[in-house]
Amino acid sequence: MEEEAGGAPAMHRSTASKNFHFYHMDLYDFEDRLHIFPEETTRMRREVVQAEMTSEPRGAAKGKPQKELEEEVDELVHLYGLEDDHELGDEFVDENMPRIEVSEYPPYGMMRREPAGEQRDWRLSGEAAEAEDPGFGRWGSAGQCQDLREAYRYTRGRASEEYECYVIPEEEDEEEAADVFCITCKTPVRALEKVFDEHKEHEVTPLNKALEIAKDEIHKNMYKLEKQIIEMENFASHLEEVFITVEENFGRQEQNFESHYNEILETLAQKYEEKIQALGEKKKEKLEALYGQLVICGENLDTCKELMETVEEMCHEEKVDFIKDAVAMADRLGKFLKTKTDIEISAQHDFEDQTLDFSDVEQLMGAINTIPAPSAPVINPQAPNSATGSSVRVCWSLYSDDTVESYQLSYRPVQDGSPGKDQAEFIMTVKETYCSVTNLVPNTQYEFWVTAQNRTGLSPASERAVYMTAPSPPIIKSKEIRSCEEAALICWECGNLNPVDSYTVELSQAATPEASGVTESVVGIPTCEALVQLQPRQRYMIYVRALNVGGPSARSEPATVHTTGSYFHLNKHTCHPWLTISEDGLTVVRSEKKTSAGEPFPSNTRFTRCVAVMGNLIPVRGRHYWEVEVDECLDYTVGVAFEDVPKQKDLGADCFSWCLRHTFASSRHKYEFLHNKTTPDIRITVFPRKLGILLDYENSKLSFFNVDISQHLYTFGCQFRQFVHPCFSLEKPGCLKIHNGISMPKHVTFY
Amino acid sequence: MLRPPLSILTASPSAAAAGDKKHKPVNRRRRMALKQISSNKCFGGLQKVFEHDSVELNCKMKFAIYLPPKAETGKCPALYWLSGLTCTEQNFISKSGYHQAASEHGLVVIAPDTSPRGCNIKGEDESWDFGTGAGFYVDATEDPWKTNYRMYSYVTKELPQLINANFPVDPQRMSIFGHSMGGHGALICTLKNPGKYKSVSAFAPICNPVLCPWGKKAFSGYLGTDQNKWKAYDATHLVNSYPGSQLDILIDQGKDDQFLSDGQLLPDNFIAACTEKKIPVVFRLQEANMICFYCVGNGILNGYDHSYYFIATFITDHIRHHAKYLNA
Repeated sequence: MEEEAGGAPAMHRSTASKNFHFYHMDLYDFEDRLHIFPEETTRMRREVVQAEMTSEPRGAAKGKPQKELEEEVDELVHLYGLEDDHELGDEFVDENMPRIEVSEYPPYGMMRREPAGEQRDWRLSGEAAEAEDPGFGRWGSAGQCQDLREAYRYTRGRASEEYECYVIPEEEDEEEAADVFCITCKTPVRALEKVFDEHKEHEVTPLNKALEIAKDEIHKNMYKLEKQIIEMENFASHLEEVFITVEENFGRQEQNFESHYNEILETLAQKYEEKIQALGEKKKEKLEALYGQLVICGENLDTCKELMETVEEMCHEEKVDFIKDAVAMADRLGKFLKTKTDIEISAQHDFEDQTLDFSDVEQLMGAINTIPAPSAPVINPQAPNSATGSSVRVCWSLYSDDTVESYQLSYRPVQDGSPGKDQAEFIMTVKETYCSVTNLVPNTQYEFWVTAQNRTGLSPASERAVYMTAPSPPIIKSKEIRSCEEAALICWECGNLNPVDSYTVELSQAATPEASGVTESVVGIPTCEALVQLQPRQRYMIYVRALNVGGPSARSEPATVHTTGSYFHLNKHTCHPWLTISEDGLTVVRSEKKTSAGEPFPSNTRFTRCVAVMGNLIPVRGRHYWEVEVDECLDYTVGVAFEDVPKQKDLGADCFSWCLRHTFASSRHKYEFLHNKTTPDIRITVFPRKLGILLDYENSKLSFFNVDISQHLYTFGCQFRQFVHPCFSLEKPGCLKIHNGISMPKHVTFY
Repeated sequence: MLRPPLSILTASPSAAAAGDKKHKPVNRRRRMALKQISSNKCFGGLQKVFEHDSVELNCKMKFAIYLPPKAETGKCPALYWLSGLTCTEQNFISKSGYHQAASEHGLVVIAPDTSPRGCNIKGEDESWDFGTGAGFYVDATEDPWKTNYRMYSYVTKELPQLINANFPVDPQRMSIFGHSMGGHGALICTLKNPGKYKSVSAFAPICNPVLCPWGKKAFSGYLGTDQNKWKAYDATHLVNSYPGSQLDILIDQGKDDQFLSDGQLLPDNFIAACTEKKIPVVFRLQEANMICFYCVGNGILNGYDHSYYFIATFITDHIRHHAKYLNA
């Protein structure tokens, strides 16, 4: 087809050129230009080729050698085609064509081969990449091929078979175009096909998407298969274990039987030996007896015969002799006859009825199926965390050979004082090798021992083991909880009479009330007090457990801690006797009447001179802020002091405290910022009703504020060599109300 | 009146902050051109001095401005410093050591001169406590002062407009403080313009000028003999008419300030007035904790005095005081 198309104009031209030499050529060329037919002038052809090349952005790198190729092609066309078609346009043409082809093809083939090979290699290596970007490689290469082929076709006016077979795999061309996926037919189709073809009514999806879906599906299946493989492997290993166990068990059983049967056979053989020996002896004895009897019998017979002969001889003797002899004979006969001949058979000829005693053998035989009484079980020491406040889980083990039908577990509380006066013992019968013993007393030691039993009998008792019940839950002293933004100090009562090993504090953020999940726990606390680190501005539920060897107690009742601001209470132990602290521990009152009472005794913990009380601030370095509500006309001192501040001195009178002292006398307010008896001269025009106090360990500062108007009053620069506590003093009857657990106001943060 | 064209012509804050050159073309027509006199890097920011033609004062005026590092990226609050008698814009910026605190808190600090200069008014240079260097932050009503000595309008209107238009400051956040006569200026500017300044503070301010020799001299010169007109520029009197919007006044006073004992400053009168009107003041009478036996033995006072050494000691407290309200 293409050859014809290519060949036809040449033929036409050659025939035409005979009749219309130049005219026709011009006309023809003109027509070419109009229609942009394949048979353009070479100059035009080149332009077209180059335009196509440049308008092909894909595979630019690849296109480069091809572009060069194009140029070479064109050059060749110049060399040959141009001359053929135009300069030597008449009868030479037909002869020229094959000649040119012959000379032309080898260089073409060589040139083509190289890039074609490259292309294929590239396509192969690019196959993985095609999954991600199916359009790029194929389209690029295919497009280039197309271009080349077209260019060739244009220049030569015919297709090169060789060229095609190297460069253009046609079926790939088809595939490239498939860019959508027909769900109905489950096949990739071209987008164009979708519009025109039988897929018109079908549901389609972009090929990429279809690919993803398919991949997903495959991944899911792979996942399933993996899971199955894991399961199967697990099962196989389980089977292996079972196999080994069965093998062992049967091996042991075989051994058991073998030994039993050997025993029985030995016993039987022994019995046989014994019997045979006994029989032999009996036989020998009997035979000997019979032989003796026989010998005696023979002797008797001989004697009889001799007597007979003697008598016969006597009968033949003379009378005198006869008589003489006869008398002697008669005596002898008389004697002989008197001797009793024993004709009783001394030995019984028949076999005495021997009863064989197989009882022991029977017993042995029986022993194959019956079992010995078990040996004493081994009681385990208490496992950690196995006990609760009212129960323990006791475990023991038996010797593997023993068969046990049940165990008897006995226990009694361990008494330190009077071992003689034993507590009541309790006995339980269980089938398992463990037992949860309930209804016990918390945090108490119990002694346990166990015996095993089967139908054969009872084992000896095991060693005695001491188990301990878990403690009772501690009781958090909610009123003594102190906190700040970063931490809380929790105190609790043990809740047990006997000491416990340690305590665990559990925290959960109470943002979600239904979730009782513990977010954090602090373990191994030896005392009834713990400082736990917390996050600022959160609400925590705090629980405490007591622990002993038996395990942890149940949770204590929860305590709630808000880590907003610092929270403390007034410390009763430091309170001057004239002061009373409110129930909530946040208000201190000095009433009128008590002032008449005498001076209290000096003390190290209690303020005795200055009518003051301390708050117990959490010992955490950081920033603490609290506020105190005061009366404008009240004489008061507020500030901070070391715990060991001399209690017999006024606050601010030494280096152990830093205070704001307000005195109101003759309608004049005086505000002193006292430390070591000195104060700066500061005058304040608006008298605070609520004082803000910022204790800043980090910057070694103590600042006072008038809360209502956010006014900064004064800042002490102070070295806190140890922790300080808030202190409050009332020089006149009145009351101070502390507000704490409040977040720091913004204006305070500037100081 | 000047504001609309100014705001239109204002370059973006960053441009104003970054470009010295860009300040010049702004508002050439309005005689408001800024001429940079100096610029020095200081604590990450820039301490600059500009000169401009003041409309209010009818003369060339210089002012100092500190642009903190923060001003490179956004608008900052403006804090105005009013200096005391005899000072120029230089005293404060070279002696008080305020830059570090201003840099940390991100405050633009503006320090104008204390009076018009070079106006050729007869007698302006005759004494140090009147005329040049002693504008007293009033708008003079008497000849020959009234055309030039309008320092009150200059520091409360013209200068803020100029600053707002040319520098990256937030017009809604401004505060004022000063020393001595400038302390008086800061107090009256605040008390006469409730809400205009977020906060105010002063070092050894002249609290009651109508009763002190300096004030009497200046006010009679600038305002005439009618003492009722004086009261409009007297902090202690202004307190009585103050409507009572939120205000927090910080005053530091050196204990061994000779002008305190001379009765020029009269802080007690101001405190009494504020106490009565419940205007919040924290007044700190500062004294040295150290005792110099040489000084004591020779009868030399060794507490804080009226100098910039005293100011430098407490400038950080004051900057923080303003930052608390400006950066709230």
